[in-house]
Amino acid sequence: MSSGRPLLKTSLPSMHAASAAAGPSNPAANRPTPPFPHGSQQQPGSFPNRPDADPRHLAIALHHAHQIQAQKDTEGLILDRILQLITLPSSPSADPASPSPDDARTFKSALVPFQPADYDNLILERNIEGLCGYGLCPREHRKEDARGTYRITWGAKGSGPGGRGREMSIVPKEKLEMWCSNECAERAMYIRVQLAAEPVWERRADDARGKHLILLEEGRAKEGKSSAQNSVSIRDVVGQFGSMHMDESQCPSDMADDIARLTVHDDARSRELAMERGDAHPALATGRMSIQVQENSHTHGLVMAPQLRPGDEKGGSIEGYLPHEK
Amino acid sequence: MDEDYSAGSVDADREMTRLWRTWRTVFEMLLDRGYEVTEEEVQMPLAVFKRNYSDPLGYPDRNKMKVSARPTEAMQAKYTPLPSKSNPDPQPDCGTIYVEFCPDATGVGTKQVRTFNHFVDENNFHTGIFITQTPISPSAVRLLSSMPGRICEHFQEQDLLVNITRHELVPKHVLLSPDEKARLLERYRLKESQLPRIQVSDPVARYLGLRRGQVVKIIRKSETAGRYASYRWVI
Repeated sequence: MSSGRPLLKTSLPSMHAASAAAGPSNPAANRPTPPFPHGSQQQPGSFPNRPDADPRHLAIALHHAHQIQAQKDTEGLILDRILQLITLPSSPSADPASPSPDDARTFKSALVPFQPADYDNLILERNIEGLCGYGLCPREHRKEDARGTYRITWGAKGSGPGGRGREMSIVPKEKLEMWCSNECAERAMYIRVQLAAEPVWERRADDARGKHLILLEEGRAKEGKSSAQNSVSIRDVVGQFGSMHMDESQCPSDMADDIARLTVHDDARSRELAMERGDAHPALATGRMSIQVQENSHTHGLVMAPQLRPGDEKGGSIEGYLPHEK
Repeated sequence: MDEDYSAGSVDADREMTRLWRTWRTVFEMLLDRGYEVTEEEVQMPLAVFKRNYSDPLGYPDRNKMKVSARPTEAMQAKYTPLPSKSNPDPQPDCGTIYVEFCPDATGVGTKQVRTFNHFVDENNFHTGIFITQTPISPSAVRLLSSMPGRICEHFQEQDLLVNITRHELVPKHVLLSPDEKARLLERYRLKESQLPRIQVSDPVARYLGLRRGQVVKIIRKSETAGRYASYRWVI
């Protein structure tokens, strides 16, 4: 790199202006300090052989380098976590339905930086080790000797269409062989849907998604509690609507009460729905950019209707050209 | 001795032949990269390979198939960076290479890779090549490439079944030494970023074990000019 040449390839003239003017009146000197805290700590004093290096460009380069390094570190961390989670659970006789509190805590805290794809890698690694894909299950995964790539599975009685018969599904053999049992598959997938889809370096500090993971058993226990508590849900009210037609004698004020208590915005349910749909976190609902609308001030006076000018009755001029009359 | 094998299953024979072809490609690769391998190692006939590397049933015994080779003088010269002010006496950035065939037929994960990494590290090999029969898991790939200070590469056996550089449509790739690279850039008054590029994951780049920042000369046949050389910067 010769001196006085632009260090950065950019089409922005302001970028060139900084480095192209390598004369004594370098505008970089009175430039505002770079907005990146990383780079500004390492001023170009650390490059004595490159006195013409623009601190701004250096700061930009360092900022990006730090970002890439942070991503690499995170990837390394996730790899370490995967290696650590292969060894769970700590005792070979552990019960996946009621894991030891220590294991459960380790499992949940280790999964925080994971993306669903990383979690799939963990399942794959556990299967390669011969273990069930669910991190807290010490059993071996299923191995089916029979050939064929697909398996037919039957659901519980009465799960078929119209509530009759059994539900049938065709599943690839590898999917079945990931787990020791259907229960473990459910537990593992319950964790997977809670993981945040965006990589950890793009998450915001106040983003609660993927931070508070709950195991299936804990989730079930909570559900049982919440259903016991006295709250009117949509289903209850709709049920009462149904009964209303039969029972006209019911006092209309009761109905009105119920309808008043019915809220479309059922908090618990909408959160559940958002989780199921994988909707974005409410913190991001306004977007990453803060948009500030600034109205232009009205500099012109009152707007007048156009008036007839001389010659307009013959069509007027077309961009200054007056057609000749024949 | 050979009759025993033909009496064995056709299956074992086929696997042995396939592995022999991979084995030969590995040696051709080592030779092309500039390691010290002898002519008879590269040209090993199938019968000799069968005798040396099969188990009593006639199936290949991958545990025996381990190779290590030292770089030649020419290769060391190619991998020595130019002397600079901070480093007036540079050492060549290459060393003994170690090739291992993974015996596990299915499910190669972090466990095997960790063992391999450990072995490479313990014996102080500069480069390691891990050859498996099946694809390895993504975390295993990451683990393999994250060895600090050492280079570990991975190939599948079927990738090396034929030597791609011997195909007529693949032009000859020659790695330039840092000195040649500097002269090239001076001759054409270029920065290295102005050269055309080639990815590290390019099959030929993987075959030659190219590293980021090197420049490779590609010599093609040309109908009008006879031979045509182009240069690519490895990214």
